[in-house]
Amino acid sequence: MNKKRMQPWPYLLIAPALLFVASVIFVPVLNAITMSFQNYDLRRPQNIGFTGLENYSAIMIDREFWSSLGNTVVWVLLAVSLQFVFGFIFALLLNKPFRGRGVIRSVSLIPWVTPGVLIGLMWRWIFDGNFGVLNDLLLRAGMIQEKIPFLSQTTTALPSVIVAIIWQGIPFFALMLLAGLQGIPGELYEAADIDGASGSQKLFQITIPSLKNTIYVTTLLRIIWVANSVDVIYNMTEGGPAKSSQTLSVYIFLKGNQLNLGYSSAMAVLLAIMLSLVAVPYLRQMFRQN
Amino acid sequence: MSDSVQNKLKYFAKRAVILFVPLCAILLFLLFPFYWTFVTSVKPSEELFGQTVTYWPQNITFEAYEKLFSQVNFLKPMGNSFLVASITTVITLVVSLLAAYAFSRYDFKGRKGFMILFLTNNMFPTVLLLIPLFSIMRSISLLYTPWALVLAYATFTIPFTIWLLSGYLNDIPASLEEAAMVDGANRAQAFIRIIVPVLIPCIVAAGAYIFMQSWNEYTFAVMFTNSANRTIPVELKNLIGQLGVQWDLLTAGGIITIIPVCIMFFFAQKRLVAGLTAGAVKG
Amino acid sequence: MKKTFSIFIAVIMCIAIFTACGGAGTAPAPAPAPAESDSPAPEPTPEAPESAEPVTILHWYWSDNDSWTAAMEENVADFNATNDKNITVVLEAYPWDGGGFSENLFTAAMGGGGPDTAQFKLTATPLFTANNLLVDLESYVNGWDKKDDINDNIYSIMRSAHESNGLYVMPFCTQILYVYYRPSMFEAAGIGIPQTYEEFLAACATLTRDGTYGFGMRGAANGHEPWGSFIQAAGGDFTDFTSADAVKGMQDYLDLFNNGYVPPTAPSDGFNEIIANFQSGLTAMVVHHTGSFQGMVDIFGDDVSAFQFPGGKGRWTSMGDTNNVIFEKAENKEAAFEWLAYLAAGKGQEVWTVGTGNIPVSTTVQNLDFFQENRFYKASIDGVSFAGIFPIRDTTTEFITSAWPANTQAALLGQVTAEQAMAEMQKVLWDQ
Repeated sequence: MNKKRMQPWPYLLIAPALLFVASVIFVPVLNAITMSFQNYDLRRPQNIGFTGLENYSAIMIDREFWSSLGNTVVWVLLAVSLQFVFGFIFALLLNKPFRGRGVIRSVSLIPWVTPGVLIGLMWRWIFDGNFGVLNDLLLRAGMIQEKIPFLSQTTTALPSVIVAIIWQGIPFFALMLLAGLQGIPGELYEAADIDGASGSQKLFQITIPSLKNTIYVTTLLRIIWVANSVDVIYNMTEGGPAKSSQTLSVYIFLKGNQLNLGYSSAMAVLLAIMLSLVAVPYLRQMFRQN
Repeated sequence: MSDSVQNKLKYFAKRAVILFVPLCAILLFLLFPFYWTFVTSVKPSEELFGQTVTYWPQNITFEAYEKLFSQVNFLKPMGNSFLVASITTVITLVVSLLAAYAFSRYDFKGRKGFMILFLTNNMFPTVLLLIPLFSIMRSISLLYTPWALVLAYATFTIPFTIWLLSGYLNDIPASLEEAAMVDGANRAQAFIRIIVPVLIPCIVAAGAYIFMQSWNEYTFAVMFTNSANRTIPVELKNLIGQLGVQWDLLTAGGIITIIPVCIMFFFAQKRLVAGLTAGAVKG
Repeated sequence: MKKTFSIFIAVIMCIAIFTACGGAGTAPAPAPAPAESDSPAPEPTPEAPESAEPVTILHWYWSDNDSWTAAMEENVADFNATNDKNITVVLEAYPWDGGGFSENLFTAAMGGGGPDTAQFKLTATPLFTANNLLVDLESYVNGWDKKDDINDNIYSIMRSAHESNGLYVMPFCTQILYVYYRPSMFEAAGIGIPQTYEEFLAACATLTRDGTYGFGMRGAANGHEPWGSFIQAAGGDFTDFTSADAVKGMQDYLDLFNNGYVPPTAPSDGFNEIIANFQSGLTAMVVHHTGSFQGMVDIFGDDVSAFQFPGGKGRWTSMGDTNNVIFEKAENKEAAFEWLAYLAAGKGQEVWTVGTGNIPVSTTVQNLDFFQENRFYKASIDGVSFAGIFPIRDTTTEFITSAWPANTQAALLGQVTAEQAMAEMQKVLWDQ
């Protein structure tokens, strides 16, 4: 590890990346932050002007903001943790040698390759309360007596969209963790075998510690991605019924689409701050060992 | 004799419980919607909304696939998507690999600041960035060329890819290259000879992430392209009008976009395994 | 210290990049264009070029299905071949994307790009005119020889979308909602076509039998159009959702759901679902327009017909619209108008409406046998006298995409009462 001194190399190495990011999104992002301190509603451009923290104080008393935030917490926690658990299990399974592994590895990417347009519609179709295949399967299995209008009830809408996003996210974790698993030297396991370690001991004492940083990074990135995702929810439920599946990102998207960009930006800034706060402990962990 | 048979049985039972049963369960969950998409694409429309759900169409029809290529000319957007996604993947990987190496192997002033900077840039929803982005693309004359998408996608995938790759790099002990450097290799040589081979599965994984992201993106694609260089998500969305979804075409289009990517990944996997063994030999 | 330093570096790099980009780019246009929304002032455009000089018009449109694409492509080919002013129209299809079309159009226009002319929904008018993006068509229409081929009342509907009654939108076609019904189900239930609002509500109940529901209710976004017929039939109007009559209309609507006369999925049913439900025989009636009749006839043959939503204390059905606009950035506005005029009353109007099942705005085309002899067009034309548009204000989009679905769904699911839901909607649409 090179010690801290003014050396040009690291800066030169990150320069191309910075160049890309700065040239394209730096200004739009600054612009969005500026808009958050303005009454910036393009439906009424004559009224645009700086209003200080007015958007922020309005948000604090906006019930819809708080309920959307609550939904976001449930959405992110359930979606990311279950994606991770299933993705990790899947990666461990795919890391074992068996015939046809290559085919299954590539086939398992399907949910990820599926165009976003199709994901929401397809799941909406599967969950449909009248012709949906899920209802039909449950009826045939005798698990329900009557069809359930999954997307039309406040109690089942959010869980339904969470199932869809878990489906979509498993391949990401599986692929990323599998890549990490393949980098773990086999000698570590051989040594553990000699010591007579059990399967779970190997998992917790070799596999997980060796993947520590990969796990941190993938979950962090996934949290950010899931917290910001709009597609699946919007296409499945539009945030309804009665806003019961509306997350903060969907609310921001709706306000943005309605061209109330100031209010929308202020909420986006708050969401970004909250996500950064989530990222801080991750960052600490990542840099601690170095 | 019977002992070994029993052992074999035990072995298979164990293998079934810890490998095949969970594997099949997860695969069933992952693949069922895909199957359902496929069945929808070959069902005649009267069957689609029938009172009874059919799990295999009574009258199978491939009309939608024919239509897709004869009327919609689906090959062109596929080519465009492929072009944009491939170029983005290469650019992003190179740029991010350099940066990730810096973040993981050097300690320099502003390291954390830069990492946070990269992360936060991705937290803003595109709906808020779109108008200024559009005018940037316009003013640098990239609008309605594939390069606008390449630039936009690279920008949005670079930060995540840097993070991903630094995660992987942090899991690779620095002692590996230091040993090589002691042997007289310089930093770049050590990086290329020692780190890159070990990192190949991770590079493929990150590449898959970038490719997928660019392959499926809609918002930028609809704003920055015109009919000359439309990509798949836009063409698919064109099939959903106010008068309903053209289910057969949409699902057929979905199937057609999924399959080549899976095949491509299958071969990337093979190369990956080959790369791994090569790396192992060198290491 | 470290952080300040990193921010410092980042800022320096950005400045460097931007000066570089500015140098390379053609125009020194600063990125955040919206900040100077009033700057795209109509530049002193040169007089219309001589007829010989070629003009290119870029036209954006969305396609609702194959027949839209085919009709539009036919029109462009014909117009390009036959116009005597050397105008070439270039067509670009953009996805409808549940209304995202308008937002994309807006983004492009605000970002300094976009088309010369575009297909357009009236509800978007306040947003676009507030940002000075559209051309005032008054003088063009007044100088147009076929002006009178379009009924005055259509022009006044176009004007009603603008705060000071300006004509910024060129009529193209309309869609008038009516009720599709299944004659066989009516016969089996022993009832005829409802003549009054009360009879209609009763029919919803009577038709609910043997696994079918009387009515297909649309509870997701854009369901406000059929819903509006209930409110007005009960005697309410859209200026005051909180009046006793309007609230009663809402209550009637909720009761259909509470009594089980509509499918239990109603709160989340959108267009695809209500049509699928009707086409599969799950519902006996559904509200939509001529855009879907071909599909209905393909499935049911003669066992599907249409009637106008009956009146009670009041009567209203929603008139949908598809129009065209010219953007301020269009260099040759005369040529652009020539193209829109072709679509509004020329051969383009006939090809378009016959091909797509929309209702013509041109009186000449309306009088064609094709429109006079079809039972679904007849139902549409029956509604002309009381058809109207939902009030268009700059809050209408917010009302349609958020306030209406959220509050109606909450009322359907019993979270709030009809009064409370109506009061919330009043706040959003009328800014109170």
